[in-house]
Amino acid sequence: MHGQDLTSEVIFGLGWLYLLLAVMNGIWTYRAYMAGPARHDHESGEKGHEGEHWEDGPSLAYTTVWSIISMGYFLVAVAHFSGTSDPEAFLIRMPEFVKSAVDRLADPALYFAGSIIAFVLVVVLRRYLINPTTAWVLLNISVVFMALSMTDYDFRQIVGKPDNVPIVSMLFIVGYFTWLYFRRAVDNDDRIAAGKSLYEQEDNDKVLVWPDLVYTELICMVALTALLVVWGIVLQAPLEEPASAVKTPNPSKAPWYFLGLQEMLVYYDPWMAGVVLPSIILVGLMALPYIDFNKRGNGYYSFNERKFAVLTFMFGFLPLWIGLIILGTFLRGPNWNFFGIYEPWDPHKLEVLNNVNLSEMFWEKMGRTPPVAPSGSGAGTQFLYIMLREWLGLVLVLAYLVILPPLLAVTIFRKFFARMGFIRFFVLANLLLFMACLPIKMLLRWSFNLKYIVAIPEYFFNI
Amino acid sequence: MAEIPDRKNMTTADILAFCRAEVASAQSSAPEAEPAAEASADEEAWEVAEESAQAEAPAAPAKKPTSTKDILAAARASAAGGGDKPAEKASAKPPTAKKGAPAAKPTSTKDILAAARASAAGGGDAPAAAAKPAAAKKKQQAAAPAAAGSGEKPSVKEMLAAFREERSAPAVAEDVPEGEKRPPKMPVPPRKPKKKPLPEPVAQDRRAFLAALLVIPSAFAAAWVMLATTTAAWGLALLRFALPNVLVEPPSKFKIGPPGDYDFGTVSTKWKAERGIWVVHTDRYKGKNVIVALSTVCTHLGCTPNWLEGEQKFKCPCHGSGFYVDGINFEGPAPRPLERHGIAVAADGMLEVDKSIKFQEEMGQWEDAKSYVEV
Ligand code: FES
Repeated sequence: MHGQDLTSEVIFGLGWLYLLLAVMNGIWTYRAYMAGPARHDHESGEKGHEGEHWEDGPSLAYTTVWSIISMGYFLVAVAHFSGTSDPEAFLIRMPEFVKSAVDRLADPALYFAGSIIAFVLVVVLRRYLINPTTAWVLLNISVVFMALSMTDYDFRQIVGKPDNVPIVSMLFIVGYFTWLYFRRAVDNDDRIAAGKSLYEQEDNDKVLVWPDLVYTELICMVALTALLVVWGIVLQAPLEEPASAVKTPNPSKAPWYFLGLQEMLVYYDPWMAGVVLPSIILVGLMALPYIDFNKRGNGYYSFNERKFAVLTFMFGFLPLWIGLIILGTFLRGPNWNFFGIYEPWDPHKLEVLNNVNLSEMFWEKMGRTPPVAPSGSGAGTQFLYIMLREWLGLVLVLAYLVILPPLLAVTIFRKFFARMGFIRFFVLANLLLFMACLPIKMLLRWSFNLKYIVAIPEYFFNI
Repeated sequence: MAEIPDRKNMTTADILAFCRAEVASAQSSAPEAEPAAEASADEEAWEVAEESAQAEAPAAPAKKPTSTKDILAAARASAAGGGDKPAEKASAKPPTAKKGAPAAKPTSTKDILAAARASAAGGGDAPAAAAKPAAAKKKQQAAAPAAAGSGEKPSVKEMLAAFREERSAPAVAEDVPEGEKRPPKMPVPPRKPKKKPLPEPVAQDRRAFLAALLVIPSAFAAAWVMLATTTAAWGLALLRFALPNVLVEPPSKFKIGPPGDYDFGTVSTKWKAERGIWVVHTDRYKGKNVIVALSTVCTHLGCTPNWLEGEQKFKCPCHGSGFYVDGINFEGPAPRPLERHGIAVAADGMLEVDKSIKFQEEMGQWEDAKSYVEV
């Protein structure tokens, strides 16, 4: 054990967290009680459509269960506050077997597959997830998981770093807004299916700009500024050693919002991951209004009416961007090796990443060495030899970009092609292919240790 | 006028047409056929008005073969030749006129004008026969309230256009005295009474425009020239900046001690912080026992890797690239081996590194004798 697992301050801090949970759940219980069968008064307005979920308001059993849970949190908080003379012996902590099990699962491929599966599950099970109780339970679980994990030294090193506080809050914020989207969208989908008017039309939140909106904005502005000031005072920005051109901190992490890009750089050449792909992301986002031919779902939430648009965007945003930020923050350690969240950061952790270029694999399969231009040959000859060496990769990449779009146009995207016309469809197809190229390259790296499909370091051209 | 129920809804055009119609019928000692012809022209005018309204919608097919102009011509012709073939015309017209258009349809000023003119002209020329001015009058009276009541009024622009057309119409009518010679044959697309700008402002605009044409290009040219000059000046300044008078940096050539300082199979990191090189003594690369100076810049994105003695590799902290002791890349994303700098044994027996030159393995430059010192 290289660090102290628990200190009294940590226990005390966690006590506050549990107290917060107790209060939150107390409020939740109170709300349920007020909306309960006894005093149910169909206040369907402000809180969306609790009405559907709590047909006649939550039952007494429901309220009781939640009151017991908040009581439990309170007791746990008290246990934390009362403290102990020997922090190491404190009992409320993440069990070792859970830690080792989680760490054993630490693997980029597993993580990425898991994030995709989670994404699919969220979409498929959206009807259950939008239930406020489900969401509340999930929130409780995640906070408790966080709190228990904080008892681990290595986890605390990552999450407790002032740098990473925004990332943790981002996780909850992204979760909340995804939930909100699905809740509104499923509600509207049901309304459309039943032929009723949309939520936005029926129950719109229009307010007067002056004074209602301006005041709200002013209050938000003041509150946010205060929050930032307090944050800036309480959580100091970590200062590292003086910068040096010859010494790079280990691990060297990008600002949190760029960690997705940094992860991309693991699989691609700098000009690909640092220039081409980011530009395509930006241009692609700008092109959305021109590509989108679906006129429905405009100005209101809907999932069924915009399945393709929503799924594509969410795939790019949740697993490919947020997911990679999480990966970069919590799971990458020294030497950019992959570490479990409870695993000590050992700079000498040995990970065998012997990567090979496609051309090398190919020529080895053919049983010979890659063709090399005779030394002293001219630029033209060298070019020809390089093309010969890399022909397979070049053909594959060209096929991917040239053959796939028409193929898509006549198969799964036939309707799209008919409605979008040539140019718009090909822009769309290429954007999709470029988005897909990241997971594809990741898979190839993990499964075949493939370094580059086309590797022409002579011209700084690697794909 | 008293018969018109809602005077407020009368447009100027309606009133005008109505008055003209009255005058015309009063003057006329019209032939028996005339009222019928007029009525038919009149009715047809209603219908055309309706049709042109429909034709505004792209999907509506223009079935009817008449345009306002045609009707105008026909009406005028009938008036002029009223004496010749009144009966024929009267019989010829009604079928078209009765295509189900209710007389209560709103009309455009143009049509009303046409109808009015037709009746007026007819009144003058046609041979007398059981004239029935009252009939014509009645007709108009019936129509006017309807038009007024329907509330669809021609816009000012339409009225202007109609007037202008009227001005030029007589000439046309004179050219074609026989109505039969210009039968309504083709479905003419409905006129769009659009901006026919008044002649005077146009002339003024044009003059101003011509003047602007003379000024603007030179202003544009001046702007571009200025922009180009500024950019060029900045570019030159930048270029000058890239060639400083004094260069405060260590010389690119420096001595690193005798070859004996660097034992076989070791990587010396002692020049890393100061000079950015690793001095490596190995025979891993093609079995040659050499001392080389490896650059400490990762070939992926330029971070500084660390030498890990235990793993016998250079490992980059940024994206995990790994290099063997000889600098060959083997793991992570780095596409090329680390670069070598020039190294040689100086006259005094010391190793001298030249950082100004570099040797890239993938270009076959490691074969260059300046890139290593053989031991
Ligand atoms: S900079 Fe060294 S691995 Fe990316």
